[in-house]
Formats: sequence, structure tokens, C-alpha cells
Amino acid sequence: MEELLKQIAHCVEFGKINQASPYPPDMKGEDGADELTVRALEQGATAEEILTDALIVGMGKVGVKFRENKVFVPQVLMSAKAMSAAMAHLKPLFASGTAKRKGTFIIGTVQGDLHDIGKNLVAMMVEGNGYEVIDLGVDVEAAKFLSEAEKYPDAVIGLSALLTTTMANMEDTVKAIKEKDPKVKVCIGGAPVTQDFCNKINADLYSPDPQGLVEYLDELAS
Amino acid sequence: MDYKQTGLTLVKKAFNRENVERIPWVPFAGVHAAKLLGIGAGEYLKSSGHIFNGVSKAVELYKPDGIPVVFDLQIEAEALGCRLNWPDNSPPSVISHPLQEDIKIEDLSIPSASDGRIPIVMDATGKLREKYPDIALYGLITGPFTLALHLMGTDIFMKMFEDPDEVNKVMSFCADVGKMMADYYIGAGCDVVAMVDPMTSQIDPDSFETFVSPYAAGLFSFIREKQSLSSFFVCGNAKQNIEAMCRCKPDNISIDENIPLDYVRDTALANDISFGGNMRLTTVLLMGTTEDCQREALECMDIGGRKGFVLAPGCDLPMDTPPENLQAVTDLVHDEMLQGELRASAAPATEVEKLDLSSHWNKDKVVIDIITLDSASCAPCQYMVDAVARASHPFGEKVIYKEHKITVKEGVQMMASLGVSNLPTIVIDGNIEFISQIPPVGKLGEKITEYLKLKTK
Repeated sequence: MEELLKQIAHCVEFGKINQASPYPPDMKGEDGADELTVRALEQGATAEEILTDALIVGMGKVGVKFRENKVFVPQVLMSAKAMSAAMAHLKPLFASGTAKRKGTFIIGTVQGDLHDIGKNLVAMMVEGNGYEVIDLGVDVEAAKFLSEAEKYPDAVIGLSALLTTTMANMEDTVKAIKEKDPKVKVCIGGAPVTQDFCNKINADLYSPDPQGLVEYLDELAS
Repeated sequence: MDYKQTGLTLVKKAFNRENVERIPWVPFAGVHAAKLLGIGAGEYLKSSGHIFNGVSKAVELYKPDGIPVVFDLQIEAEALGCRLNWPDNSPPSVISHPLQEDIKIEDLSIPSASDGRIPIVMDATGKLREKYPDIALYGLITGPFTLALHLMGTDIFMKMFEDPDEVNKVMSFCADVGKMMADYYIGAGCDVVAMVDPMTSQIDPDSFETFVSPYAAGLFSFIREKQSLSSFFVCGNAKQNIEAMCRCKPDNISIDENIPLDYVRDTALANDISFGGNMRLTTVLLMGTTEDCQREALECMDIGGRKGFVLAPGCDLPMDTPPENLQAVTDLVHDEMLQGELRASAAPATEVEKLDLSSHWNKDKVVIDIITLDSASCAPCQYMVDAVARASHPFGEKVIYKEHKITVKEGVQMMASLGVSNLPTIVIDGNIEFISQIPPVGKLGEKITEYLKLKTK
């Protein structure tokens, strides 16, 4: 079993989705995350084991490589796609309550911003690291974040913006959340966002990469 | 102010990596110009008249050496059938990707000059050209990778691995669209065609060289054949691709705050390419004070230097950037004295090692120190030094005078040691006597006489 979980982690790390996928070239024709996850479940692995010992391990490695500029968005998206292929088999088990997650993360791009590549990447990485992710999509009003936060009182909120022009809305959203409940943690990210900006708008975390966020969430969850 | 060179000449010189008398300043006033007119971004970007008026207003306020006609990377996408969302306070965003729907790349054709908003933009370009013959007009075209992303959506990232032939086909088409737009802009009178390809910051150097370089290089070579200048703009952290961008042979690359300017300077100049950037957009230009903005500009200028550098914001200016912040940058760019003062005050007094001046003074002679930027390049400094020389002459050996230029360390130390904070300043026996204004020779002579009397007492 250990070997099988290692193989799944390897598939996630290198973006091998399923047998039919031509990427990466050196794994052509081999089974991918999809087939191997089915096999692991058949052989008695639990959803939690697969998540913890395969998906989180693989996504963790991708996260570190992304942070170190060794891989970029295309490679991470392939990894995320491989992870999703595995998650498709695990999700019904989580939904039925037979398996546990580490916590809940609510994410969306701020009002006026329709760019979701970064937001999707973060959502996938966080999910791949064992959290339930509530993805509110793009162009999300502050009120929507507030109502979701009420439904999931322990959730951490993540705001994404790609445009310098929508960063002002990020400031307003953080303010609205903090006014309602100063204890709610708000993390921000996106190409134009900086630590400086984070300090100015009183958000709790800025991370230039998803891995930093995952580490922060792990710290809060522990 | 410096009227010796037109903005266009300065920009051209910078692009050709010649030494410039003054670093050219190119504020990327996109939808910010709509703000200057008090209208929304959508209304602005759909009207040739508004664009003309907005850019005119920006020229009047910011005295730029170059300026883009519009900063909108959705013009080509819209003409190719992408649907747009129009917020009031930023450029539109693409909300539909034709190639994700039922349309094939073969079904698309290169937009003509009358499609979408292209005629509006070209009309504004022509009129601005006529009104401002001495300013470098920038025509911004959507880079092929960003346009391909508009057409394909984020599928492009995965298709780079799963269907590279398809991606190449789309890239080739997008580069052709870019050539068409470049041609329209050059025809309408633009001096610089800037290919803006922010999405390339998201890919690795191998993918860049495989899917972007061939098309970008083709575009720049096309622009060169048209005897126009080219620039490669990228927003976001594209540090990994700067080398590869240089190898595409644009005349200039322009980057934002995510990439260290000194790194870009060294890489670009080593490749015989000029460079520009990278003032921080939100934390400084939008949210900072006028002094923050001047210090930011100065830091960029000091790193950029007078050879091959264009001072610019990192990317499209946030719409609500306070005009006074940009005017403060304009003031700084045109005022070398202010640059010198700011530079000197930038080094906090505690950091500057003060000089031991005990042997500097003389019990029989009057010592005059003139703190200047550099009398060789700053006219008021030169007149002040001249005035001191002429006033001192009749006193012969009784007066010792010396110019301290703050372009060298000793000058900065002397300035701090004497407690001087403006340039140029005349200090007599350690007392600040004349600040900025050049005193008449007679008045200076009287002062010297007063100080000499103190010595004989």
C-alpha cells in the first residue's frame, strides 16, 4: 500500500492525470492519479490515508517547487488536475462524513475582479492539503463573504485580486469582515498584492505563493 | 525646466541607450485619464473624443515625455468576439473565450481597422499625434500569449502539454493580430509599439521559449521593419523570463515592482536593450504621499541611470491615483536640484558619518563652503559658485572658498556636518547665510567684510 500511495503522490507532483494523458512525456502510457486512487481504495486504503499520505505529499512538493520558481502555473495546473482526478473518488467519502478534513477555507476574487487563475490554484492547493474549500467564484461582494463566514464560523477567508484597480475593493472587503468579527482570519494574495499592502489594510496574511498559505492554515489548525 | 530636448527625442535616445540630459518620464495613464475627466472607465474607453481629452489632460498635468494612447488589453479580444465586462473603475475584463465554445481557430479572421473599438483608438491616436508632435506616443498591443489566453481561457496552460500544436496555431494567429494592430498604430502616428504580455509572467522559461519567443521575436522584427520602436511590457513576477524576453529583441523592456530594477537593468543592458519601470503602483503611487512618490521615483532613477532608462509606473496606473502624486513625480523629473536635496536628505543624518571640521576653520581667514548639486550641470549652482568667486576676489588670501558637490560622498558628509538642507547653499564660517537664492556680489562682499571684522577683534 505504501508503494501505491507513493506512486499517487508522484503522479500529483508531476501532473500525471490518467493513463490517457500524454503528460509528462516520460510517464506516457502509465497509470495516473485516477487509476491508482481507485486501486488504493479497492485495496482498503481510507480516503484520509490517500489524502494525507499521497495527495498532500504530492501537492506539498509542487507547492515548494512553485515557491522556488522551479515550476510555474502550467505545471501546477497539471498537478491540480491530477489531484482533482484522485479527489473525485474521495469526495463522496468525505461528504458522507466517514472521513475528516483539517478545516474550512472560503475563497473568492474580490468584487470587480474576474481573474480566477490564481484563486483556482490556491483553492486546489488548499484542498489538496486536506481542507474543505468553499469557492465563491469571481467578483464576490463583501456581503457574500460575510454570510458564508457565518455559516462556517471557524473558516479562514482568502481574497484574491489580479488588478491593481480592484485592490481597493480588497481593502473594503477586509474592513467589512473585520468590522463584523475581528477574529476571522483574512488572507490575501494575487499578482499585484504585497506585504506592504497587507500591512496597510490590516489583513492577517499575505503570501506570494499558495504554499505559504497552506503553512499558515496548518499552523492555525494545529 | 529643460526645454532643450523634446520628450520624443529623450525617449528615442533612451531607447537607443544614448546618454540623456534628463531621464524621460512616461506615466501609463490608462483609465486614470478617465478619472481626470470625471467619467467612468467604460464610457472613456468607448469614445475617441474622451480618449483624446483624457490624454490631453494627462499631458497638461504630468508633462510626460511619452504616453500611451490607451491601456486596454481587451481591444483585440473584443474585436475577435470575446464578451467583455465593463466595471466603472478599471479596464474591461474578458468573460467569454470563443475557443472554449464552438468556435475553432480556423474560423477566426484578423480584425480589420473598422472592427470593435479599433477605429476609435486609431482616431484618437491620429488626433493626439497632430496635437503633440513632440511627445512619444505609445501604441499598446495585446501580447500574443495574453490574447491567446483571452481566446482559449486557462485551458491554454494545460494544452501547452496536452496539445502543443493547437497552442502554436493559436499563438501564430495572435501574433498576426498583433502585427496588424502594430501596423494600424504606426500608421496612425505612434512612435513606440509596446507589446503588453502580462500572462507570460505565469510560465516557465522553457514554455516561454517554446510558445512565446518565436512569435514575440517575429512581432518585434516586424515593428523594426516599419522603422518604429518597440517595447515588451510585462506585469507580474516574470524575473525568470527576462533573459528570454531580451532575446526576442525588442528595443526596450518595461517591468513592474515585482522584479528588481537593478536586475532588469543589468540583464537588459547586457543584451543591448533599454529598460523602464517600475514605480510601485498601489502602495506608493495610489496610497502614498507626494514625498513617497518623489522618493520612489528618485530611487528608480538612481538605479536606472541616464543610459537606456525610462521612468514609468510598473503597469497601468490605478484609476484613483491622486494627480498630485504624479505631478510630484513630474516636478522631480524636471528639477535636478530637488533630486539632489531629496537624495541628500534620504540618507538620515545618523547614517552619514559627519566630518571633523576642527581643522577646517581658520582664525585669520574667512571660510566659505558652497554646497551644490554639481555646478557643471546645475545652472543655479554654477551662478552661486561664480558669485562667491567674484565676491572673494578682492579679499585675496583672506578668503578660502570651496564647492562641495553632493554627487560625491564628501559633499554629502559636508552638507550633513554643516546642517544644510537645501541646494545650493552658501555657508560662511559655519553659518548658513544664503539658501537657494544667489546673492548679489556686493551683498556677499559685505558679509565677507563682517566676518573678517570678527577675526581681527
